[in-house]
Amino acid sequence: MKKMKMLVLTASFACLALVACSNNPPPETEPAAEAPAAEETATAAQPGPNADSLAAEQARLEAERLEAERARLEALINQIMSEDVYFDFDRSELTEKARELLAQVGELLLKEQRFTITIEGHTDARGTEDYNFTLGAKRAMKVKEFLIAYGVSSDRMESVSYGKENPKVEGTTEEAYSQNRRANFRVNIK
Amino acid sequence: MKRIFALLIFLIFAVPSAFAAIDTIAVDVGISVFKTMPIGVVPFAEPKGRISWSEEKPHEIVTRDANLSGRFDVIASDKFNLALFSRNRAKHFITGKAVVLSDGRVQLDCYLYVSQTKDLLLGETYKVYQKDMRRAVHDFFDKVVKRLWGDRGVASTKLAYVSKIEGVKQVVVADYDGFHRSQITRDTSISMMPVWMKGNKGLVYVNFKTRRPRLYFKTFGGVENPLFTHLDQTYSPAVNPKTGELLFSSTVDGKTDLYIGNMQTGKARKFAYLKSNQTSPAWSPYATEVLFTSDRGGGPQIFVMGKDGSDMRRVTFMGRYNERASWSPSGDRIAYTSMDNGLMNIYTCALDGSDITQLTSNAGNNEHPTWSPDGKLIAFSSNRTGSYQIYIMRADGSNVTRITKGGENTSPTWSWFYDEINP
Repeated sequence: MKKMKMLVLTASFACLALVACSNNPPPETEPAAEAPAAEETATAAQPGPNADSLAAEQARLEAERLEAERARLEALINQIMSEDVYFDFDRSELTEKARELLAQVGELLLKEQRFTITIEGHTDARGTEDYNFTLGAKRAMKVKEFLIAYGVSSDRMESVSYGKENPKVEGTTEEAYSQNRRANFRVNIK
Repeated sequence: MKRIFALLIFLIFAVPSAFAAIDTIAVDVGISVFKTMPIGVVPFAEPKGRISWSEEKPHEIVTRDANLSGRFDVIASDKFNLALFSRNRAKHFITGKAVVLSDGRVQLDCYLYVSQTKDLLLGETYKVYQKDMRRAVHDFFDKVVKRLWGDRGVASTKLAYVSKIEGVKQVVVADYDGFHRSQITRDTSISMMPVWMKGNKGLVYVNFKTRRPRLYFKTFGGVENPLFTHLDQTYSPAVNPKTGELLFSSTVDGKTDLYIGNMQTGKARKFAYLKSNQTSPAWSPYATEVLFTSDRGGGPQIFVMGKDGSDMRRVTFMGRYNERASWSPSGDRIAYTSMDNGLMNIYTCALDGSDITQLTSNAGNNEHPTWSPDGKLIAFSSNRTGSYQIYIMRADGSNVTRITKGGENTSPTWSWFYDEINP
């Protein structure tokens, strides 16, 4: 759980970094083009408070827009990272519910082409460490195959198995086991 | 006529049960088949009140070694007692003498006597600080085993295992009896699956610092080195007892295969080209054959093949989950873990999968069996008391003794014999 929080944090930092970098990519050139014009009028008339307030206003709008974009990406990343896919005991086949959920993730990934993901496969606490690594790997792979079939390019996805080493819920009840037989996502931005 | 009728009745009832018997295989549960040797143990003579023992006294350490060894039954007596020893057929007894030296060390004189004649068979002197006394007694005890059995004993061997320290799994090493634990990895990420390099020079293990399972090795007192970095997700290491080469699993895109690699050169190649996933490799004592687990039947089952990947045979047929086989040092049996109703238990069987013996039952999960190098004992981890701890039992499942105390301890691997035994 702690790790999860840390992931969310790293992801949101990545968002901030992205937003900072995307200050002047093609679609957002308008404010940049306006800026020199504003400066011209400012020098022609009175240089002073008026121009300053205009520039400040634009900076504020820009900051707001970036903040909104950051929040939107963060929400998307959080959404993807909270979508855990669950499996039956010693199985790696996707359930009907898992497919529905993965279709939503696939949709998001197709919309946000800059996202790359790591798919982590996990097992419950029963069984050996060794076999559970292979089982977790099979689960992560089934998820990856589904997303490839959905249209997400395979080079945007990486899969890894944690076996039984990273349970979401501690405990030895079937309730805990079923929560831990899962695949989850880590999101990065290209 | 009556007789024929009786036979018919018999057949009607007997035949179905005969069919039913085909898919159940008889399993022995924990029957002690060990031949042990009674041995007398008498407290060491010491100057009255002069020694304050910091932990156990010498004869208590001898007693624990003897009971753990799987070779002896201790006949305890507070002084030499021929009637007692003779009644219990203890042909030999161990005792000794302890004195404090001027520099604070203890001089331990350890003796093995013949009960009837009081002939001295073996005598050793150790001058040690109290903290090293346990190891001195282990050394003497292994000499006793050599003298009475003609075999090497395991009292001076060690166990590597995984210990949860401040919430993180770390690899540790301890003497075989659980004392003198020392921490080998100090990482913020999980370390696991330790195995011993040849000559007990160091350990190979898995760590997650790259957020993927990867093999590393570390010689004792040396630094950590990543292994086979050109391969993805490496784990399940098994050291070749003859060449020191490493057999292990690597997972690429959901497919797990066995690889064999040289730890010095870092070169590795695929060991077997199979459609199924393979993991948990284990070498035969002379490294001519390899046990491994394959999922080609759906769940995990144990298979064996030649070291060149030829002549693959399935070993386990009973149950749906048989995993992590290891070969006994004498080469005649296999220990493995089987899951039944969600619980893990330890079994042994002959090399062809017949003659199955269940070693643990009705005591939580029992996993990760590892043979002592003399083949007399099996160490394993169990959560029978609630938390996972390390236990030692005889190879027939009897005499289960817990050797770790607090925290959570799993995945023991027994060292090889130590060639030089240091007092």
